[in-house]
Amino acid sequence: MPAQSAKPVPPIWCPGCGDFSVLAAVKRAAADLKIPVHDLVLVGGIGCSGSIHNFLEVNGIHALHGRLLAQAVGVKLANPALTVVAAGGDGDGYAIGMGHFMHAFKKNASILYIVMNNETYGLTKGQASPTSQLGFEGNVEPPFHSILTALSIPAPNFIARTFSGDPKGMTAILSEALRFNQEGRGFAFVEDLSPCVTYNDTYKLWREKVVDVAKMPNYDPTDRKVMFQLCLEAVEQGRIPIGVFHRPKEVAADGLERKLVPGPDGPARTDIRVEPNYAAYEKLLAGLA
Amino acid sequence: MIGGQGGDGTLTVSDLLGRYFRKRGLYVYTSRNVLSRIRGGHADASVRASRDAVAAVKSKVDVLVAFDREAIELGRAELESHGFVLYDSTTFQSDLPNSVGFPFATLVGGPLGAPIFKNTAAYGALSVLLGFDPAMTRSVIEERFKRRGGEALEKNLKALEIGRKAALEAPGVAGRFSVTDGDAHNLILTTGNQAVALGFVVGGGRFFAGYPITPATEIMEYLQRYLPAFHGVVRQAEDELAAVNMIIGASYAGARVMTSTSGPGLSLMTEGIGHAGAAEVPIVIADCQRVGPSTGQPTRHEQSDLSHLANLGHGEFPRFILAPATPDDAFHLTIDALNLADRWRLPVILLLDQALCQNTTTSVRFDGTGARVDRGKRLASDAAERLTQYKVYEATEDGVSPFAPPGTPGLWSEVTGNEHDEWGHVSVNVPNRIRMMRKRMEKMVKARDELPSCRTFGPSSAKIGLIGYGSTSGPIDEVQRTLSNRGVATRYLQARTVYPVPVHEIDPFLASVDVAYVIEHNYTGQFARLLRETMPWHHAKMRSILKYDGHTFRAPDVIAEIREVA
Repeated sequence: MPAQSAKPVPPIWCPGCGDFSVLAAVKRAAADLKIPVHDLVLVGGIGCSGSIHNFLEVNGIHALHGRLLAQAVGVKLANPALTVVAAGGDGDGYAIGMGHFMHAFKKNASILYIVMNNETYGLTKGQASPTSQLGFEGNVEPPFHSILTALSIPAPNFIARTFSGDPKGMTAILSEALRFNQEGRGFAFVEDLSPCVTYNDTYKLWREKVVDVAKMPNYDPTDRKVMFQLCLEAVEQGRIPIGVFHRPKEVAADGLERKLVPGPDGPARTDIRVEPNYAAYEKLLAGLA
Repeated sequence: MIGGQGGDGTLTVSDLLGRYFRKRGLYVYTSRNVLSRIRGGHADASVRASRDAVAAVKSKVDVLVAFDREAIELGRAELESHGFVLYDSTTFQSDLPNSVGFPFATLVGGPLGAPIFKNTAAYGALSVLLGFDPAMTRSVIEERFKRRGGEALEKNLKALEIGRKAALEAPGVAGRFSVTDGDAHNLILTTGNQAVALGFVVGGGRFFAGYPITPATEIMEYLQRYLPAFHGVVRQAEDELAAVNMIIGASYAGARVMTSTSGPGLSLMTEGIGHAGAAEVPIVIADCQRVGPSTGQPTRHEQSDLSHLANLGHGEFPRFILAPATPDDAFHLTIDALNLADRWRLPVILLLDQALCQNTTTSVRFDGTGARVDRGKRLASDAAERLTQYKVYEATEDGVSPFAPPGTPGLWSEVTGNEHDEWGHVSVNVPNRIRMMRKRMEKMVKARDELPSCRTFGPSSAKIGLIGYGSTSGPIDEVQRTLSNRGVATRYLQARTVYPVPVHEIDPFLASVDVAYVIEHNYTGQFARLLRETMPWHHAKMRSILKYDGHTFRAPDVIAEIREVA
């Protein structure tokens, strides 16, 4: 009889919330890749979406608001054998967590970051967020565009966007992103357009506006310049491009954890008892002048 | 004391002198007084050598080496009446008595092509003034520059001879002072920052994240050198928020972790430390205190973070604060901090100060033979076979729950900074909230006998008590010796756990004395306030001796405030 670990609790989300699609897709993608529950870590942010780790069987760690990426990178560097997924909302990632967001691309640790973007702060009842459209709740700042930003950082990341109204497409992309991580190729960023049915119900609007970027002319996700232009043009035309925006040509497995932890013995798994290390410690201490 | 403009090489002269004195079997203490800029601005360093152990700056200066006018002005205030001044007369003259000037910059500039070797020339002249052994003087240069080798070594050796020759030819310089051999052999020259880095390695620390900040940066730099050989990882993060959260993630994944910072970084890390406290994730934070508030004075000494640390964060959570006094103490307390964090699953703060972190001192060789790694109730990788259930916040007698890091076959958990039940599920249940608060908070009581003990110095019959922590112990030791020579007995209590306040140790100490001076580097008497708060019955016995000008205590400063002897 195996030991009983924490059981998932029922989601706190409103019926119809876009986050349900993400929950289902994460479960399916992890199952597709046959990742054992004990090897999967889900780092949650703060906000409705950040509670996702409570709703499935997983090693969950609920991070501070905006700090989930720093914790997720710490987990991965300590034990690169783990599959690490960070998941939160647009306020968490693009407002309070913006500094860590930008650096995550640069660091390029092989973790998956899912941002459930609903263009509002749902949990605190509908304030404008960094991705809110002009006029939403009196918003006078132009919306932040994560894909354009991600494409502007010259690092070999996997960059994609999904829509909760297309769960099948989302599962395919999340599976690809997790494989990308498993191969140690670096950071995978997936923004999911996840409507807030209570404070910003955009299902209908987004269904009309989304466009599969792969079907746009000249689509080439290995060419950052082309993809930036395609994406910008679509945005300027009022469309919402979804799909894979960057799939690096290089297949070198040089995610941050591979550069820093060359062997199987990462910081969490190496033997830290004094006895087996003692000779090396003696040498280090004897070297002091 | 050696003073000049930043970039003049004053710290190099101080380093060379330290090495020489140590070769002579003397105890050495060097401190630096630099500005927060790369070049320019006045900077000085002082070197003290003694046949007895010293860990404080001397009250007056015997010999001043001046590369700029400001050093001369400093000398006017700080020199002993017999004090001697050796200065670079290339651009200015000294009007102080007992001054001898040599145009070091010009003397080396011609033959060596650059005036930067003037500091080594000054060391050469000093070696004549102080009656150094010429061969040993030279071997110090060889050791110091052997890593750079070739031309650098050759030019420095030439500069040394230029300085020596000038001083030997000048009347009244050679052998004016003499150095007596000491018997302090087999010591190392080190700093608190290096000791913390080494303690971290030996204590099993394998993941470090930090952000550059004076005076903490060297801990990260040492670990960048040491850790890779032990499968460890050092990350320079984008800010202190990231640094503390990276170590939280790495600790949760099963690594032993630490970050180091100073006041401004500590303010940012406060959020993450609270998270570790609520989520019961073991972390160690080394706080290298400097002058605050805000940016304050980055390169100057203070002990003003204690009140913040004792109350750190919103809400309430347990934490231990340990304060080493010397590099050797820092080495061992860093290992203790790692063990205590794991054993009790909470944040442990190493409370350091700029003088301890950066001043160089002779120390006994760090001894790792007694070191041990205690991972507390960490579950083994086959734990699933033996357990019927795994609750990450299981209620236990001591409040510490067994933990299995992710990757442990068959086990998983929910770890969170939200209030939670034993399974880690978010909970607002009233009895659960009370139970969980007690589980966490009572660790500070239950751990009492495992926390590092205070140390006391001086006869137990003494009626004048002194209390302090950190590098202040150095000057206090000198105060005790000075007063003892005058026939006045004092007893010093060095707190090594400063929070939770070790009432069981400090209460009897206070009961044994008529008066206790609490000596610390801040304006409000932060440690004294903590002592009064926890032991109000001793309120009237305690008096504060405070200094917050950015410089460390010198023994006479303290003695002047002890009313019974002043």
